[in-house]
Amino acid sequence: MNFYITYFIIAIGLFGFSALFALFGVYAERKVSAFIQDRLGPTETGKFGSLQTFADILKMLQKELITPAAADKLLFILAPAIIFIAVYLGFAALPWGPGLAPARLNLGLYYIFAVLSIETLGILMAGWGSNNKYSILGAMRSAAQIISYEVPAGFAIISVVMIAQTLNLQDISAQQGILSTEEVKFAGFWDVSSIGGLFAWNVFRAPHLLIAFVIYFIASLAESNRAPFDIPEAESELVAGFHTEYTGLRFALVFLAEYSMMFLVSMIGVILFLGAWNTPLPNIGPLHLAGWTTGAGWGIVWITIKTLALVGVQMWIRWTLPRFRVDQLMNLCWKVLTPLAFLCMLVSGIWRVFLM
Amino acid sequence: MSLVQLLFYLMAFIAVASALFVAATKNLVRSIFMFFVTLFALAGLYVLALADFVAITQVVIYVGGILVLILFAFMLSGKETLNAVGELKRKFININKLPAIILAGLFLAVLITVIFRIDADNLAWIKKAQFTKNVILPTSATTENIGVNLMTRYLLPFEAVSVLLMVALIGAAHLSRKEGSSL
Repeated sequence: MNFYITYFIIAIGLFGFSALFALFGVYAERKVSAFIQDRLGPTETGKFGSLQTFADILKMLQKELITPAAADKLLFILAPAIIFIAVYLGFAALPWGPGLAPARLNLGLYYIFAVLSIETLGILMAGWGSNNKYSILGAMRSAAQIISYEVPAGFAIISVVMIAQTLNLQDISAQQGILSTEEVKFAGFWDVSSIGGLFAWNVFRAPHLLIAFVIYFIASLAESNRAPFDIPEAESELVAGFHTEYTGLRFALVFLAEYSMMFLVSMIGVILFLGAWNTPLPNIGPLHLAGWTTGAGWGIVWITIKTLALVGVQMWIRWTLPRFRVDQLMNLCWKVLTPLAFLCMLVSGIWRVFLM
Repeated sequence: MSLVQLLFYLMAFIAVASALFVAATKNLVRSIFMFFVTLFALAGLYVLALADFVAITQVVIYVGGILVLILFAFMLSGKETLNAVGELKRKFININKLPAIILAGLFLAVLITVIFRIDADNLAWIKKAQFTKNVILPTSATTENIGVNLMTRYLLPFEAVSVLLMVALIGAAHLSRKEGSSL
């Protein structure tokens, strides 16, 4: 029975982590936006305003849960839960370090891809259930955007899988460092199996994956409804999009889902392209930097640093670029990203057959 | 009863009950959302049958694709159309339902004959597979197997299906074109 208890502890731990990350993420977002716009951001609550988000969540917990009279009550109440659970389920398959993964699925990557597509359903449910024209417009924009951007994201992911030859996230991670059981070549010619570090990461193993990474990153911004792809909740047109009618804890759950999604897509990006839990430091002659900084504990440190850096880039982009129009969004997806992703997949096939 | 059996009956019950709700309810949008539960229970049954790849494909294609498209069509068609559909004649025996009843009856007959005529515990090919150890274990990876078989033994059906999908795609693109704009 002991392992059942472990399962529960891990599940609760992951939930706690995503909640803590959302609190930190909202604070960081405010500070980053303040820095970019030359403001100060929250300063009053706690030192440097660090308790601001705790105060916010306390306020939200006390708010009344309002259900609009004309709403479809069941769908309206269930929607935030489904949106969050879809993202939360994805965390189950993510590896944190060598031998450290909540579930070691041999279809891990495909599973995450499947589970994330449920979020669309939750958003449509929220939009329809609210019975509000802004909500439904936001939900439909969101669904159209997520379905479209799943295509380039999927092909970018496939081009990695073709190089890695596995869908197991733990195996994909292990291939990108000194723990690899097969030969790792930097850019197809220099054997770095025992050197590891930066050179063994997927983006450097096969340089065309750098393009695939950029495609994936853009698509992941769209999938988590972040600016410049935030037309589903465009404040200046749609009030707040699909979550216009939500109050209190339900609103908090939608936000929790958004920030967890940011972390999740960044972490998948790190695992697939940026060396997962492997160290960026290579072995140089007698200096076994990679050997010293590889392990379960170090793995968690590296993957957290890399993921937070990507989340930081997401925030930076949000506060720098203006919002896309719908037609520009679709043009970018279908006329630029999808053909490029196809090309990456083709190069991956050639690379695998002739250079590995 | 083992845990696997318990899970099987639980998921089978969820699948059947939610499918009944989908067919019976008057609220069409809720029936679509309930269909999502049915599909999920089916995915669970696939996992129990060690077909994990099929289960995940089911979720990707049906939940992430088809269901969302159906919902899209609903939301674009507006409430008045939906209400009109909901107010169709609700008599149990109705001449409009005759084809559906015949089809369902025939299908039931086929299913019952299959259940009675098959001896599920002593099928020859299952015995043979067990004897030659040609079985899938819970730990074995099925993806490679599916990929290799699709590209060798089942290549012709696979290609035929892809041509069919291509035809459907071209047809849809042609239909959604504005009349006489560029032609």
